[in-house]
Amino acid sequence: MIKKLISRYRPRLVRSLVYMLQASEYNIRDYLAWVYRTRDFAHVEKRGHLERTPKVLALLSASWSFLVIWAAGLMGYAVFTDSNAMRIALVAALLLLPLYFPYVLALIVLLMQAAQKPVEYALVARAKRTLRAHKGVRIAIAGSYGKTSMREILKTVLAEGKKVAAPPGSYNTPLGIARFVKTLTGKEDVIIFELGEYYPGDVRALAHIVRPDWGIITGINEAHLDKFKTLERTADTIFELAEFVEPSHLYVNGENELARVHSKSGNVVYQREGAGAWGIDDAKTVLSGTTFKLTKRDDGSCDAASGLLGLHMLGPLALASDIASKLGLSNEEVVRGIAKTKPFAHRLEPKDWGDGVTFLDDSYNGNPDGVKAVIDFLASLKSHRRWYVTPGLVEMGARTEEVHRAIGRQLAEAGIERIVLIRDSVTPYIEKGLHEAGYKGVVTWYDDMPQALQAIRHGTAAGDIVLIQNDWPDQYS
Amino acid sequence: MKTIAVIFGGRSAEHDVSIITAHIPIIDSLLAIGEFDVWPVYITKEGKWYSDKKMNDLSYFKQTDYEERLARGKPVQLSFDGGLSLVWPGIFSKSVKVDVAFPAMHGTYGEDGSLQGVLRMAGVPFAGCDIFASAVAMDKVLTKQVVAAEGIPVVPYAWFTREQWANEQDEVREAISKLGYPVFVKPVHLGSSIGIAKAGDETRLLQAIEVALHYDEKVLVEKAVENLTEITLPLMGNEDVKPALPERPLNKTDFFNFDDKYLSGGKSAKGGRASVGKGGVNNAYSEVPANIGEEMTKRVIDLGTRVYRALGCEGTARVDFLIDSVSDTIYVNEVNTLPGSLYHHNWRKAGVSNIELVTKLVRLAEERFASQKTTTFAFASDILQKVGGPKTQK
Repeated sequence: MIKKLISRYRPRLVRSLVYMLQASEYNIRDYLAWVYRTRDFAHVEKRGHLERTPKVLALLSASWSFLVIWAAGLMGYAVFTDSNAMRIALVAALLLLPLYFPYVLALIVLLMQAAQKPVEYALVARAKRTLRAHKGVRIAIAGSYGKTSMREILKTVLAEGKKVAAPPGSYNTPLGIARFVKTLTGKEDVIIFELGEYYPGDVRALAHIVRPDWGIITGINEAHLDKFKTLERTADTIFELAEFVEPSHLYVNGENELARVHSKSGNVVYQREGAGAWGIDDAKTVLSGTTFKLTKRDDGSCDAASGLLGLHMLGPLALASDIASKLGLSNEEVVRGIAKTKPFAHRLEPKDWGDGVTFLDDSYNGNPDGVKAVIDFLASLKSHRRWYVTPGLVEMGARTEEVHRAIGRQLAEAGIERIVLIRDSVTPYIEKGLHEAGYKGVVTWYDDMPQALQAIRHGTAAGDIVLIQNDWPDQYS
Repeated sequence: MKTIAVIFGGRSAEHDVSIITAHIPIIDSLLAIGEFDVWPVYITKEGKWYSDKKMNDLSYFKQTDYEERLARGKPVQLSFDGGLSLVWPGIFSKSVKVDVAFPAMHGTYGEDGSLQGVLRMAGVPFAGCDIFASAVAMDKVLTKQVVAAEGIPVVPYAWFTREQWANEQDEVREAISKLGYPVFVKPVHLGSSIGIAKAGDETRLLQAIEVALHYDEKVLVEKAVENLTEITLPLMGNEDVKPALPERPLNKTDFFNFDDKYLSGGKSAKGGRASVGKGGVNNAYSEVPANIGEEMTKRVIDLGTRVYRALGCEGTARVDFLIDSVSDTIYVNEVNTLPGSLYHHNWRKAGVSNIELVTKLVRLAEERFASQKTTTFAFASDILQKVGGPKTQK
C-alpha cells in the first residue's frame, strides 16, 4: 500500500501518465478511468513502451515545466507569506501534487486538443478535396470487428489486377484518414478505408470524408459497448455507412445476426457459403491454411487455397472475389490473389514455438464473434493437446458476464484440454461458464500474460497448440 | 507446499553447465507449476554452499560479480536431523526442511555418486540416479566393463592410469597399437566432451594423452568407429523405463565437443530454433528424432533400455551410441546419469513437457525413497557384548 503510494512520488510518474495517454490514443475519458483505477504507477509500461513522438515530447516538456514552476511557486509563496494557515495550505498543495497532477495533465491535453482543432480541420478539409479529385474506387469498411482482416484480404486479392492503397495501421479516425490520404499519389485504382466507431455519428463523419463507392459491414457486437451502451446504438452507428452507397454496393456479413437483421433489401450478404456471384464448397481448414472449391455463377469452378486459418475467413474471401470480379479482375487473378492471403500479425497467426509446439497468436482478436470463430477452429484440431490462454475481453459493458460465460461454455463443449486464465475482473465468468458446461480439462491461473506464457513454455510438448486470445493493453490492466 | 532443493554448481569442470541445467528446465519448471517451494542450493567452485531464492533466477549468475556477492553472504549448512534441512546459523538462525532434493550437478562430486551418497545419508528423496549407477557411469572404463559383461557390444578399447603411463608406458602403448588408428583419447571421469581428442597417428596420440592426463588420472583409448553416426538416447523411469527419441548430433567437427553442446545457443539452423537461453543442447546441432530408420531406432531403444537396467539407472539417464553406418554395427559408448539440461528439448519433442519431465523425476524420487524404506538396512546383534569375550567363531 505504502509502496504504491510512493510510486506516485517517483519522477517516473510523469512518463507513466504520458505513456497511458498515448496508449489510450489521448482519449481523456479512458485515461481518467485508468488513473482512477490505478494504484501502482511505477509499473505501467508492461505491454508497450512510450514512443517519443512530437506530441509526447511536448507533453513531457509541458508536464515538467508545470511541475517545476508550480512547485517553485508554492514554495516561494510559503516562504514569504505571513499567514500560517496559508503556509500549511501551500505545503499541503505541494505534498499532494502527485495526487492531483494526473488531472492537471488531462487538462493540458484538452487544451492541446482544442489548440489542434483548427489544424485538424484544415488537414481533413484537404483530404476531402484530394479525395474529391481522385479517380480511384473507394471501398469503406465499418463494423465492430474484423475490419483489419477484411482490409488486408481485399488489398491482397485486388492487388493481383489493380493498384491498391490501404492505410498501414488503424488509420480509422478523421485525422488518421487525412494523414493516409496525404500519402496517395493519385494513380491508385482502388483505395480502401477503415471507418472506426466509438460514438454515434462517427461512421457518418468518416464516410463524409471518404465518399465511398462500395461499403462493407463486417458485423456488430459488444465491442465498445461501454461507450455505445446498447447494441442497437452500435448497429445504427455502423449502418450510417449505408447512407453513402447504393444498396447493391453494400456488403453485409450474413454470419453476424445483428448485421443481417439490419441489412436492407438489395444489400449483398456474404458468408462462408459465398458472396454475390461466388459460391464456396468443400472447405477444409487446418493449421497450414484453408482449401475450398470456388464457383462463379455461370462460369465454372476451381480449387482455391488460402493461408488464412478458420472457416470464418471464407466469407471475406468470397466477398473479395466478388468485388474483384466486379472491378474487372479475371478468375485466375482472383484465385492467385486468394492464394497470397495469409494470416495477419496477431490475428490467428501461427508461429513455431520449437520442438513441435505451435503457437497461435490471436492477441489482437478481442471481440465475441472473433472468439467464437477461433474456438470453432481450435475445436476442429482434434489430434492435438490444445491450450487456450486469455485475459478475457474488454469494453463489454452490461453484457460482460453473459459474453464471458458463453466463452466458458463454448470452450467446455469444444473439449479444449488446457485453459489458462489471467486473473482480472472478467475471467471468473469464463470459469463459471466452464463449470456450467461440465468442463473436464485443466484450468490454471496466472497474474499476467508474460507470467502465463513463461509457464506455458515449460508445460508444452510436441504436438501441442497454444492459442493466445486477446491481450489486454496496459490501459485495461 | 512441497519444498524442493535444487543443488547445482560444484567443484567440477562442468560447473557452469550445471547452473544452466538447474535453471533450464528444473527451477523454471518447478516455479511455473506454482506448487513447490523451490530453494536453489549453489555450490561454488571452491566447495562452499549457498542458498538464496535470488538464485532461482538464472540472471543472478550472469552478473559478473556474483561470486563476490555470494562471498559477502552467509553460507548454508546441511542438517541431517530427521531428513535434510538447510540451515543458516546465527543469532537469527533459519532452517528449511527439504522434502525432495534435485541434484543438477554434472561431473565430479555431483554426478559420480558423491552427492547422492550425502543425500542417502541425509535420508531425503532425491531425483535421478542413485550412488551406484552414478559411480559406474562416471567411469567410462567401468561402464564398458559392466555393459560388455551383459553381452552388449562396445568399441575395442585400452585404458591406463597416470602411474601406469609413467611406469609401464611400453605395455600401454602396445595395447593401444593393437586397436589401430584413428583412436579417441578420453579422460575416464569427465563429461561434456572435455579433454577428448581424436588421434590419427602416434604423435597426435601422445599429445592427446598428455591433455587427457591433465584432466584425469585414468585415461581411455578406444578405436574410432568408421562411417560414424553418433546417436544418443535419453531414458526415464525406475522399474518402468521409457525412452525419449534417438537424437543425432549434427557435428561440425569430428565429434560433438563442449562448445557444440553448450555454447552454441541461439544459432538456429534453417527450420530449427534457437535454444532456450544461451545454454543447452539445441536443435541446430542435433536431429531429433534421428533419421536412422525404423530398424536401427528399435535397436537403439532396445540396447539403451538394457544398458539403463544393467547399470541400475533410475530417474533419468542418457545412453550414447556409436554406429558404423555402412556395416550397421552399433556400439554402446557411454552413459550419462545427469544429461545436460535433462535433454528437455528431446523430451519435449517426444511429447513430454518440461513440467511433466521435472515432476515425473520428483515422483520417481519419492517412489524410490518409499521403496527403500521397506528395505531393512540394520539388524539386531549382540556382537558388541561379546567383543573381548570368549571366541564364538566356529
